[in-house]
Amino acid sequence: MSLYSPAEGWYYKKVAKDEKMWMVIALILCIALFIWMVMWHVYGKQNPSSTTYRTSTTEFAKLSESYIKKNMVGLDNGVPVVRPKPNTDVFILSEMWRWSPALILQKDQSYKFHISSKDLLHGFSIQPVNMNFQVFPGYDYVLEFKPTEVGEYKVICNEFCGIGHHTMIGRIVVIEKEEDLKLYGYENLKKEPDPLPESGSSGKVLTEAEMVLMGEQVYTLKGCAACHKIDGTSQLAPAWNGLFGKDELVIENGKKITVKVDEDYIKESIRTPQQKLTVGFEKTPMPIFPLTDEDVEHVIAYIKSLQ
Amino acid sequence: MFRTCDITGFKVDLQSEKLIRANAVFAVISLLLAVTAAILLVFTRYQPVHLLGAEWYYRLTTFHGLNALIFWIIFFEIAGLYFGSTVILNTRFCAPKWGWIAFALMVGGLVMSNTIILMGKADVMLTSYTPLKAHPLYYLGIILFAVGALIAVILFFGNLMIARREKAYGDTMPLVAYGLMTAAIIAVITLATGAIIYIPTFLWSLGLIDNIDPAMYKLIWWGLGHSSQQINVAAMVSIWYMVSFLSVGGTSINERVSRSAFVLYILFICLASAHHLLTDPGVSSAWKVWNTSYAMYLAVLASMIHAFAVPSSFEVAQRRWGYNKGLFQWLSKAPWGNPAFAAIILAIIGFGFIGGTTGVIFGMEQTNIIVHNTIAIPGHFKGTVVIGTTLTFMGITYYLIPLIFRRKIVGFKWAQWQPWLFFIGIALLSISMIVLGQLGVPRRHWDSTFSGGPFTHNFNPAVDFFWALMMLGGSIAFIATIIWILVVVISVFFGPKVNGPQDMQLTISPLAPQPTKEHKGYEAPGTLILTLIFLLVFIALFFLNWKWLAATWNVN
Repeated sequence: MSLYSPAEGWYYKKVAKDEKMWMVIALILCIALFIWMVMWHVYGKQNPSSTTYRTSTTEFAKLSESYIKKNMVGLDNGVPVVRPKPNTDVFILSEMWRWSPALILQKDQSYKFHISSKDLLHGFSIQPVNMNFQVFPGYDYVLEFKPTEVGEYKVICNEFCGIGHHTMIGRIVVIEKEEDLKLYGYENLKKEPDPLPESGSSGKVLTEAEMVLMGEQVYTLKGCAACHKIDGTSQLAPAWNGLFGKDELVIENGKKITVKVDEDYIKESIRTPQQKLTVGFEKTPMPIFPLTDEDVEHVIAYIKSLQ
Repeated sequence: MFRTCDITGFKVDLQSEKLIRANAVFAVISLLLAVTAAILLVFTRYQPVHLLGAEWYYRLTTFHGLNALIFWIIFFEIAGLYFGSTVILNTRFCAPKWGWIAFALMVGGLVMSNTIILMGKADVMLTSYTPLKAHPLYYLGIILFAVGALIAVILFFGNLMIARREKAYGDTMPLVAYGLMTAAIIAVITLATGAIIYIPTFLWSLGLIDNIDPAMYKLIWWGLGHSSQQINVAAMVSIWYMVSFLSVGGTSINERVSRSAFVLYILFICLASAHHLLTDPGVSSAWKVWNTSYAMYLAVLASMIHAFAVPSSFEVAQRRWGYNKGLFQWLSKAPWGNPAFAAIILAIIGFGFIGGTTGVIFGMEQTNIIVHNTIAIPGHFKGTVVIGTTLTFMGITYYLIPLIFRRKIVGFKWAQWQPWLFFIGIALLSISMIVLGQLGVPRRHWDSTFSGGPFTHNFNPAVDFFWALMMLGGSIAFIATIIWILVVVISVFFGPKVNGPQDMQLTISPLAPQPTKEHKGYEAPGTLILTLIFLLVFIALFFLNWKWLAATWNVN
């Protein structure tokens, strides 16, 4: 009949007993689902937060950088490690393609995470506990986490963010006792973060060794570590160890030429990354990072030291 | 110009018939493109093979999404709308010239967007969340396609007006046309939302607009992305009623109920994007809870009403044909050899048990935390849009080949097996994706060993089994789709001509006999049992998910 007009009187036909029964059950279920969500806000312990702050990519990147500078207690595979105090604000920056910092948290303590992005959308996905949240540039999402189990957790990115998306992985370890740090290779971390160097150090002349240290800091804080490895592996960008002084095959204006990696070339690569593309990495062009002239000097010193 | 169908007795406008054919052909082409990409993607995610490089993996993910979810579905729906508004209503096509203009725009859009993607200028995924930027022509292609589709929908309303004015159908519009009309109304809302987001994004990609707020983009984009799925649901359910009629002479046991359910789709789907933002910043919990449910999930209710109304239309008709023994004789004596019937029953089962259950549970604010952006999400919509919509469209095509293309189905034995094979394939694929997602595996991710990252992560060892199962399911579904495409193409272009009812391989049933006396009590007890089983499965999955959620860290 569905292809023809319905039979006379269709509008006034009584609804059958079983159909009526089913509709009532379905409606009760649908209303119950709504009530369940509301009640979970009252009695449940997992609720996405409603707190968001407007921010900008540059503002949040600065916030994150100064947070890490102030609280860093060590490095883990090029990623700064922070051990926040319970009930404090934790700033997590996502960018192509890394999460920073790595965290050491205490079981059953609350931490106020501020999560935002420096570039694209990212997906904040804690594994294996499998909790997933969306990260936007320009929005500071505040989520108060209380880890309930000790162990090692990874933060993976589950929102597509470009060709290196699969390399974007961070680390959170949750401990109960101080000895647990050993399980994760964190026993040699500093107990307290270093006091900040006094500001306005620009006037002072640094020694070469200090320059290298500052360069290493830029490397971890600004995110160079996401693509440039120092262990010789080059998936997304040339590795930095042994880079200085090497001859690189690059493409300039469509032509392949060989250049020597020296101070001028590194400077040019940082300021105008699209000018010369290293052969083999054309698909992952480097973005422009807002580094100061001093930062660049320090980075060069650091690269030089990685022979 | 009309011909009168010697099989069904309907008047068929020849202009309309040509348009239906053209749109259907492009639907099949799009599906072929989509599944070719799909099989390559499956073998890339299956880590032991890891077929494609990262670049082509993301490129073909974009390509697959656009061709499967937009081009295949919408081309087929336009063919369906033309069929529903002219053939079923015995009326002529209002403006065939505009039909061809719409068709040309849609084909142009398809070619443009696909070319840009394959050139590597739009590796942005179907969602193309800003600030990811594609080449302007990618957006323009989609806009052209959408404009074409919008014109086609307007033509559908034009046809309805003619049919109404010329009293081509009795007093009341037939249920199938009514369902398709709701699909068309939702299509207008959806395409308008699409214009609101794609036009500024196009201008932004040209550099004429500075900034598209990413959260605003995501909110409005899903007004297109999800509402369009409601077009599919409305179109699909209409076809379910149609096949019930064609195969066993069944009809909704209460048309008022069925029609009201269609209206619920229109009224309660308007902000369907909300459940895509459940774990996003920017909107409050109150906003999320309210806008996903409107306090009572009435769009879900609509589907649950159809979940009873459609099978009961089969059951009641079968009982009137005399298959009255026990609870389920109506089902065991059903025309399973009719591939359209088999496809529709399997689509209903898959849509309800896989797509529907997970859809409702994943769409609740808190449980979304444990599945958001995991591979469980595509797993869910493989259950709705692939088993549900695609298998339904495949099934009805077995009727369209003899009735519209006027050809016999070549390889009818293959056609009879095809829906089963496709169902098994996609069910395996979909269920394994859902389990993988529950174990934390992300969607749209080239390498789940995280090679090149500072750390690595090993998922629960159970994933290996489900990856293999997903690969197996994907391969079976791919083969089933290729069988379908071959059957359709060979039949349409080389099949023997249909010269009358004697050439019909699929039954066309007369209307089931009317009962002699008014029925009291249960009209469809078998269906009631089936829906109650569905309810139990849903409740089990519901508590499983919430139990899992309760075991995670605390967050608020």
